[in-house]
Amino acid sequence: MAAISLLNPKAEFARAAQALAVNISAAKGIQDVMRTNLGPKGTMKMLVSGAGDIKITKDGNVLLHEMQIQHPTASLIARASTAQDDATGDGTTSTVLLIGELLKQADIYISEGLHPRILTEGFDVAKNKAMEVLESIKIPVDVKRENLLDVARTSLKTKVHPSLADLLTDACVDAVLAVRTPGKPADLHMVELMEMQHKTATETTLIKGIVMDHGARHPDMPKRVENAYILTCNVSLEYEKTEVNSGFFYKSAEDREKLIAAEREFIDQRVKKIIALKKKLCDGTDKNFVVINQKGIDPLSLDAFAKEGIVGLRRAKRRNMERLALACGGIAMNTVDDLSEECLGYAGLVYEHVLGEEKYTFVENCKNPQSVTILIKGPNKHTLLQIKDAVRDGLRAINNAIEDKCVIPGAGAFELKANMELLKYKDTVKGKARLGIQAYAEALLVIPKTLAVNSGYDAQDTIVKLQEESRLSPDPIGLDLSTGEAIKPMDLGIIDNYIVKKQILNSCSVIASNLLLVDEIMRAGMSSLKG
Amino acid sequence: MSTREILSLQFGHYSNFVGAHFWNTQELSFDYTGTVKTEINHDILYREGQTLNSEVTYTPRLLLADVKGALKTLPESGGLPDESEFEQSNIQWEAVEKIEEPTPHKNKYLKDIDSEHPLDVEAKEYNFEDNVQTWTDFLYPRLHSRSVNIVKEYQQGSDKESFDIYNSGKSVWKSDFGDNFSDNIRKYVEECDSMQGFQVNFDCIDGFAGLALGCIEHLADEYTKPILVYPIIPSYFPDTNPSNQSERDTSNLKDSTRLVNMALSIQEMSDHASLFVPMCTGEKGWRKPGNPRLFEHLNYNPQLYYHSSAILAAAIDTLGQKYRLKSNIYTLSDLCADMTGYGRKMAAASLRIPFAMNESQYLIEHLNETTKPIYTSITPSCKIATDKIFQLVTVRGVPESHLKAPLKEAKEQMNIPAYRCNNVKEMFELYFQANNFLSATNVTVCEKPLELKTPFPKIFSNNLNKYGFVDNNNQSKRVETCPVIAGHHNGNFLADMIEKLHRDVSRIKFAKLHKFREEGLEAAEFSESLDKLSEFKDNYEDDFEL
Ligand SMILES: Nc1ncnc2c1ncn2[C@@H]1O[C@H](COP(=O)(O)OP(=O)(O)O)[C@@H](O)[C@H]1O
Ligand SMILES: [Mg+2]
Repeated sequence: MAAISLLNPKAEFARAAQALAVNISAAKGIQDVMRTNLGPKGTMKMLVSGAGDIKITKDGNVLLHEMQIQHPTASLIARASTAQDDATGDGTTSTVLLIGELLKQADIYISEGLHPRILTEGFDVAKNKAMEVLESIKIPVDVKRENLLDVARTSLKTKVHPSLADLLTDACVDAVLAVRTPGKPADLHMVELMEMQHKTATETTLIKGIVMDHGARHPDMPKRVENAYILTCNVSLEYEKTEVNSGFFYKSAEDREKLIAAEREFIDQRVKKIIALKKKLCDGTDKNFVVINQKGIDPLSLDAFAKEGIVGLRRAKRRNMERLALACGGIAMNTVDDLSEECLGYAGLVYEHVLGEEKYTFVENCKNPQSVTILIKGPNKHTLLQIKDAVRDGLRAINNAIEDKCVIPGAGAFELKANMELLKYKDTVKGKARLGIQAYAEALLVIPKTLAVNSGYDAQDTIVKLQEESRLSPDPIGLDLSTGEAIKPMDLGIIDNYIVKKQILNSCSVIASNLLLVDEIMRAGMSSLKG
Repeated sequence: MSTREILSLQFGHYSNFVGAHFWNTQELSFDYTGTVKTEINHDILYREGQTLNSEVTYTPRLLLADVKGALKTLPESGGLPDESEFEQSNIQWEAVEKIEEPTPHKNKYLKDIDSEHPLDVEAKEYNFEDNVQTWTDFLYPRLHSRSVNIVKEYQQGSDKESFDIYNSGKSVWKSDFGDNFSDNIRKYVEECDSMQGFQVNFDCIDGFAGLALGCIEHLADEYTKPILVYPIIPSYFPDTNPSNQSERDTSNLKDSTRLVNMALSIQEMSDHASLFVPMCTGEKGWRKPGNPRLFEHLNYNPQLYYHSSAILAAAIDTLGQKYRLKSNIYTLSDLCADMTGYGRKMAAASLRIPFAMNESQYLIEHLNETTKPIYTSITPSCKIATDKIFQLVTVRGVPESHLKAPLKEAKEQMNIPAYRCNNVKEMFELYFQANNFLSATNVTVCEKPLELKTPFPKIFSNNLNKYGFVDNNNQSKRVETCPVIAGHHNGNFLADMIEKLHRDVSRIKFAKLHKFREEGLEAAEFSESLDKLSEFKDNYEDDFEL
């Protein structure tokens, strides 16, 4: 069992009851830290390190990584939350809250003498039932722009200010739609996220092409060309001295020069082949030529290119080779031996942008770009990072919806519905296992309750109100955070991912059960949960 | 030809101590007046840049990795002033909770170098011995915003979250950390017009070994440039002197862990590095660092990383002179080619600090009278042979004026064959010819001695004068510079070291290595690694003739 591997063999073993108490209090502790994060009205956290590094986040997973979690129970929960993020990109705060709440509910029954085993059996049954409820309320969606906008917006509004979220929403959806081939989820790697630290601008735009974080390294190369052939290649255009054992066997300066000249010849040949193609295709036309190389281009080669008006970029990201081919067409070449027009891509516009010591190259106006860039501008590193994290989550939410082919009404609607169905179902179950179902049903309410509290409403009042409404309505009912009243989340476009909810249900009951059944736990470090 | 740039990489806490001294030495020797004739081209290790506010910066071309909690006062952004980060950021959000860590205490030295009117730090006593907890406590340079890379999953000085397993390091490399790190490498390389290669220093006894090897493998895949590596073993561990049985058991287990990390990394370096040279100021390196290597006129405390790391930094700085000279004829690729014939990618290093001649003595007399080896091995468990070796030796700071007596006063000196030597270089060449049978020695002589500016530790004996020469009537309190000798050596003598390593690590039962197993190391993989290590040793076995 995973929990055991966290144990320090030298630690003393606490008795079972104590162990349980420790687990429960640790789960509560971490829940308390994360509780205020949940939902679009949750608190943003600004972490300032001792040396002054700033980090701003509302994301449960980011927060967990920044905190020093030393308690093994807490770090087990943290890992579950990280796993949730890896798998789905969302739901990390909910995971922590739900595990904590399951343990809290369990605590009530266990303190009355119920064996943990009975509870965990109940959890298992309840989880399966909740899955059925999830299936019953899922709403099929087509891959259409307007459907995806709601999904993205709901996710983004939990991470950044609504006005920014609206901007990002369009960028994210259009990015996914651009890189996607029908019938398949998108390869999100084909959406490049490029950060640009800019003193005055804060904006995020979708570039239908590629933005690279480097530029031409020759002063005479054009800073802007239109109507350009793009050659992407992975071919060394740099003279690399082969080893000559010069330490022991002295070579005269002339010998050395001769050797260099011979070696250089190789590279020159390659450069000449590229120039020949450029001449053939561009000379006498209004066309231009851009070389984007994954390997190096040394000053002599750059010089030769510059003389021909060719723009040359070196050391492109490996992944940009693939992206460029998708954005501009053409093939990434591993040799320059059989170059022809078919190998080349096309961009309507290529230009350079300089900011301090950073250079950027925009490859835009591509014909049918299947790889695009979301360009994020912001005044400082932490803002850029916060937006980048949000964009990542937005992209994944969209892709999840495409993959799932369905969505779930948000704003606590699923949890309320499942709670209601479980309480009904409980009455059909005999024996003590029903107590586990009861506890599970109660625990689910932690989501709508916390959403209410984070918006300034009373948890109990709100739940009662919503439950009444739910009984009367055939449609799922959720919480309107701006009024505290019941709403139909679908009407307002508050939508969660199916896969996220499913994963939460699965992992939470497993982890909670593990923690309840652990017999022995390390005593060392019991009080070391920091937060 | 233009500058041949080098990208420096540092992985691990002790390597960062070494690095802090190394970069201090570089930066404190900069001449801002433009009057001093320097032999070294600083652009090889440094890059010129610009902040967003268009201020010019000159920072090490460096990437380093450490774990959480190692930085103390140094911001992750490297510490160059950057206005934008200080601006009250305008977070558009209703409820913002600020969670601030307490600001760590800045020691006096850091306050002094930060102050508007820099005080004369040379004149002050800072008691670094008691005040240094981490390498940033005595770091003089400010770093580029790319330089510092923190492994967030692990915590400095924490037993529970310690980063001590090779395979954990490999996993970290495969995570986002590795993606960001390799992107930072790419950005540095893209800037270079004529890069000569990479230099990597790493702690080879913990998780950083796996992290570094992940990176080295990436470098070998992605770039066709030489990779010079110094795997480093710290001089001391907190568990090095156990006092009871349970501490002995703990220490034993840790020693095994460290040894396995070392063996795995050495084996993999034999595949991916161009040349690697293990270093430790302890004689043995494993299963305990062992007695400190002794250097005449030097008193250092191996329990202080602040001390021992300065010695290795002095060695690395001296060894590197040859490929950082302005004349730039010799580069890393020559070094790697010179030292690694017959697939012998591992070499040894030696050091003599200070190379202290008598103030009134000539080099010819000194070399003539000396009976002990001129340098000390700083490669663990390795005795550098005197015969059948290849060696590249760098001598710095021995003035030509101290070569030999002028003809008129030469007297007996004339009877020594070395009297015909016309300069320091020739004399050392002759010395090595005479002392190393069937060997090839290449000597590089640099005019400039090693500068020992604060915060270099004050570990020199009292009878040295300001320039590091022995002077028994010495009045000066402080040694400011000293001559140093350092060398790279290769030969079949290294077979003994690899064999000892192989033997010692083979004694460890795989079943005992649960932490390695949990992190994904398999029994078959482990034994295959050991087999390969033993094959690597075979490269050193065949006798060769020059
Ligand atoms: N506009 C909204 N009104 C009410 N609830 C919302 C709204 N947007 C999101 N939520 C709810 O907030 C929860 C997600 O909050 P979030 O902070 O993203 O945490 P998590 O890390 O668990 O995803 C979901 O239960 C979702 O239904
Ligand atoms: Mg979310």
